[in-house]
Amino acid sequence: MKVPYSWLKEFVDIDITPAELGDKLVSVGFEIEEVIEMRDSIKNVVAGKILSVEKHPDSDHLLVCSVDVGTGKVQIVTGAQNVKTGDVVPVALDGAVLPDGKKINSGALRGVKSEGMMCSGGELALTESDYPGAGVYGILILDAKTQPGTDINEVIGNTETVLDVAITANRPDCNSILGIAREVAAVTGKKLRMPNLSYTVSDYKTKDFISVENRNFELCPRYMAGAVTEVTECESPKIIRDRLKAVGIRPINNLVDVTNYVLTEIGQPMHAFDLKNLAGGKIVVRNAAEGEKITALDGKEYSLKVSQLAICDAEKPVAIAGVMGGMYASIGNDTETVILESARFARDSIRHTSRELNLRSDSSARYEKGIDFYSQELGLKRALSLFSEYGWGKIAEGFIDANMGCTSEKTLVYDYKAVNSIIGIDVEKERIIRILNNLELSTTAEGDVLTTFVPDYREDIEGVNDIAEEVVRFYGYDELAPRLISTKRGGKSPEQLRFDKLKNMLVGYGAYETVSYSFISPKAFDMLLMKENDPLRKAVEISNPLGADFSIMRTTLSYSMLKIINTNYKRGNKEGRFFEIANVYLPESLPLEKLPEEKQHIVIAFYGENEGFYKLKGVLEDISETFALNFEFKREEISYLHPGRTASVYSDGKKIGYVGEVHPLVQDTFEIDKRIYLAELDADYIFEKGIDIKPYKAFSKYQAVERDLALLAPIDEEAAKILGVISSAAGNILEKMEIFDVYVGGQVPKGKKSVAVKLLFRLHDGTLTDSEINARIEKILEALKSENVFLR
Amino acid sequence: MLDKIKSISDSVKKIISEADGSGVLNDMRVKYLGKNGEITALLKNLKNCSPEEKPFIGKHINILREQVEKLLAEREKTLAEIELNKKIESEKIDVTLSLNYPKKGGLHPLTLARNELVDAFVGMGFEVKEGPEIELDFYNFQQLNIPKDHPSRDAQDTFYINDNILLRTQTSAVQARTMESEKPPIRIVCPGKVYRLDDDATHSPMFQQIEGLVVDKNINLCDLKGTLDEFARKFFGEDTKTRFRPSYFPFTEPSVELDVSCFMCHGKGCRLCKGTGWIEVLGAGVVNPVVLKNCGIDPEIYSGFAFGIGIERCAMLKYGIPDMRILFENDIRFLSQYK
Repeated sequence: MKVPYSWLKEFVDIDITPAELGDKLVSVGFEIEEVIEMRDSIKNVVAGKILSVEKHPDSDHLLVCSVDVGTGKVQIVTGAQNVKTGDVVPVALDGAVLPDGKKINSGALRGVKSEGMMCSGGELALTESDYPGAGVYGILILDAKTQPGTDINEVIGNTETVLDVAITANRPDCNSILGIAREVAAVTGKKLRMPNLSYTVSDYKTKDFISVENRNFELCPRYMAGAVTEVTECESPKIIRDRLKAVGIRPINNLVDVTNYVLTEIGQPMHAFDLKNLAGGKIVVRNAAEGEKITALDGKEYSLKVSQLAICDAEKPVAIAGVMGGMYASIGNDTETVILESARFARDSIRHTSRELNLRSDSSARYEKGIDFYSQELGLKRALSLFSEYGWGKIAEGFIDANMGCTSEKTLVYDYKAVNSIIGIDVEKERIIRILNNLELSTTAEGDVLTTFVPDYREDIEGVNDIAEEVVRFYGYDELAPRLISTKRGGKSPEQLRFDKLKNMLVGYGAYETVSYSFISPKAFDMLLMKENDPLRKAVEISNPLGADFSIMRTTLSYSMLKIINTNYKRGNKEGRFFEIANVYLPESLPLEKLPEEKQHIVIAFYGENEGFYKLKGVLEDISETFALNFEFKREEISYLHPGRTASVYSDGKKIGYVGEVHPLVQDTFEIDKRIYLAELDADYIFEKGIDIKPYKAFSKYQAVERDLALLAPIDEEAAKILGVISSAAGNILEKMEIFDVYVGGQVPKGKKSVAVKLLFRLHDGTLTDSEINARIEKILEALKSENVFLR
Repeated sequence: MLDKIKSISDSVKKIISEADGSGVLNDMRVKYLGKNGEITALLKNLKNCSPEEKPFIGKHINILREQVEKLLAEREKTLAEIELNKKIESEKIDVTLSLNYPKKGGLHPLTLARNELVDAFVGMGFEVKEGPEIELDFYNFQQLNIPKDHPSRDAQDTFYINDNILLRTQTSAVQARTMESEKPPIRIVCPGKVYRLDDDATHSPMFQQIEGLVVDKNINLCDLKGTLDEFARKFFGEDTKTRFRPSYFPFTEPSVELDVSCFMCHGKGCRLCKGTGWIEVLGAGVVNPVVLKNCGIDPEIYSGFAFGIGIERCAMLKYGIPDMRILFENDIRFLSQYK
């Protein structure tokens, strides 16, 4: 809300600077977004007195003037012919800025130095009624008494200061100069002056011109109308035009400007109809007929829906209620009688209509914030008083007021101690009463019980919490005495602690955590080579996404991770390790009827020259060990992973994810030339099933015996199988085993591979003898034969 | 004999001092002190001396032997030192060289900020709660006193799945769920992702918030101030000042915004605080009794306060990150700055 300082001063005396006032408004909940000085639109333009005028030596059209600009003499070349010695004119000096943003610099015209420019009224955005002579062709001649050197802003009165105030959604009443003035009065302790509402009426009666039939009180709880006859259309006076310009509204003519003026000052949108174009002398407030057409003031034709409210005459819509008037009944220079509309429309209705038609106006914007019952009559009276004051027409007596008789005035009765129990400090009863009365929330006391009358324009005040807010707003939040609440056991759940632990673990492996958007492109599934019936294609769709590429809620994190690697690779980051823990969203069915399952997944990716499958798998094995989850790896295929280099991860027989190398085709799709190793696991499973403290296991103090076995196995025999056979044959004296070398080729027969296994035997209660170990090795070798694995 | 002793004594010093390896020294030991060594031979010959000469010559042979042993030991030590120095010299490396050894990774700055924020409240006895990101309109809005068509819905443009299901716009939704399922006293913080239709340098369509909620008997604005003061000092520094500014949220009444004194200029006014000396960090307020009632808590008995903090904003302020979009690019050169 833009608030010109001078306009505000009309309703409340202010003896502090705009900056001080800004601070006070902030303290009561109105943020100042900007302080605009109107004079900033014209810089370095001063009044100058012409000392001499000579012909340009090289031109017949140009004059060379010597001008006293207060600080000295300057030479200015001008093409204008209306200047003479002794005239006082506006002079744009070197570096000046004009209202249209144009900059003026010193230069030379046909070889003669010119240290600036003399300005016309138009160049200073002035019209004849702003300053006499501003409308003439040529340089603006100022009042001869103007002191040379005076800032032109002072001369033409362009000195307004405008506060741009942010208004919270609970205070629609403050989207008006009057509303802000009421707050200013309360915060500065001054008295609010109401705007002039008086006017003289003619012998005509409004009801003789127009009748109003309100068929929808729900969408239009109040419709008021007044009439002005014998109107004259003209330019509004300077004060009105200046103020409208200061709030960012372009002045048009008095009939249009007056509605905008009232909208800004009172906060009530108004509309003016030309009576002669209202068929039947009738206004009907009704829902539009389906498909009913109207050409609005923007020149476009709109087709209305039955849910939309229209203002009609006896035959047709003449305005889209609260949004925009129609062309047909609009006022023009042949208008004789104006019908002024001042109505309350339901904000939801205006909001829907405005969205559906994609049509916004100052009026719809204001209605969407909510209009109270107080403003219709006030707005109408104010508009009529302006007509009367400036003699723009004759005011017909009386209004039409088609309302459902409703009001939002209320009376609250409460114990003043209840207010303090919300605030937490003891504000004296008298102080509470004073604050509320200053806000025109008239309050009286009977013992501890207060009675507050809440006027129509404060629909936001519904209960004692609202009263408490009004009190503390003006009593001062700085007066609160901070208090610490008593202690209570808090903290993170075991699952949340495991979440932190898993993240820290991956950081230890050199991986960086990423954060990516939860919504992805529907193209993701094709890019990941998923089959048509892949269950992961079943994804929740956003109905109003930011764009198609962000339109579905992800069912896998792998796509986002590949995008991240793509970004990094493109930017020259040739290797890296990343991980992310985030939700995937798995709907039970589509379209969505109930909330989808949200499951945390972890995706881990390694890419670059030095990475390999076993490095990533090793990390998963360490996760398994850390959380005691007994991961098992089984060869399985995943559409976007290399078919020969992919394993599913099982824990206690449940599949919880996979690890593998990214499929070469997918690698191409994401334009990454390096191999990528990717794992995605159900992180919730890890958090829920993970074990933090494992039971103590005694460790033997006896010597261990190490034996290496060089085995010859079929080339496709899996390590897990060999180790499984060894483990069950070796029994409990086997403490540890690992495959430390696998070799194919050279000395190894075709179809076979050499597998070197290291075994560590140890007893808990004694030292193993050679014969005991040899016997066990025999047993192991015997068992391996069943798998076609032999000692080399 | 004395001549012989003198000649050995004269030459041995030079010979031993020139020995250039432990092998040579061993040879020397054999040569002089061995079974057939020269000094051993002298001792053997001692029996041929007259009884008068014997003690005198014997003493000199002993002195010579001790001299040789001492020389051998000293030379041995010197040689070991030379050897060690040579080894050390030959093993010199360029200590300014950096090779690519494994390094730890790092948590995302948003996680660092989130952890720090959550920890500040956990330290004050808050429990950490989470809730769904795809949420019912009912919990995200209606239970929080934001009926359909409430104007404040415009301020947070919502991603909708359908008429009743949306991407939550605020972690406040967890408030409503918690109050429905738990009885006071309640003291929770709910960190998590939220979504709004917005995308520029200071807005992201996905961002994270931490919602806080306390419901108990006799909770008031002063409790809120006390809690947030503690938080501000912990997160922004001990000397941080705070101020409440009145504001509006449909689910709190009274509503406030919390400003902290600018930690760059300490209140003098700078670019970060746009010259005001204050930085806006969060919104808060006393829980609107309507919300308590909606969620099945008797507002006549209980009251509460709530607050909501933007994690991105805190992270950007704390780490001096100029553009929100950088946070979601995940460029390793950015991520590796926050270890």
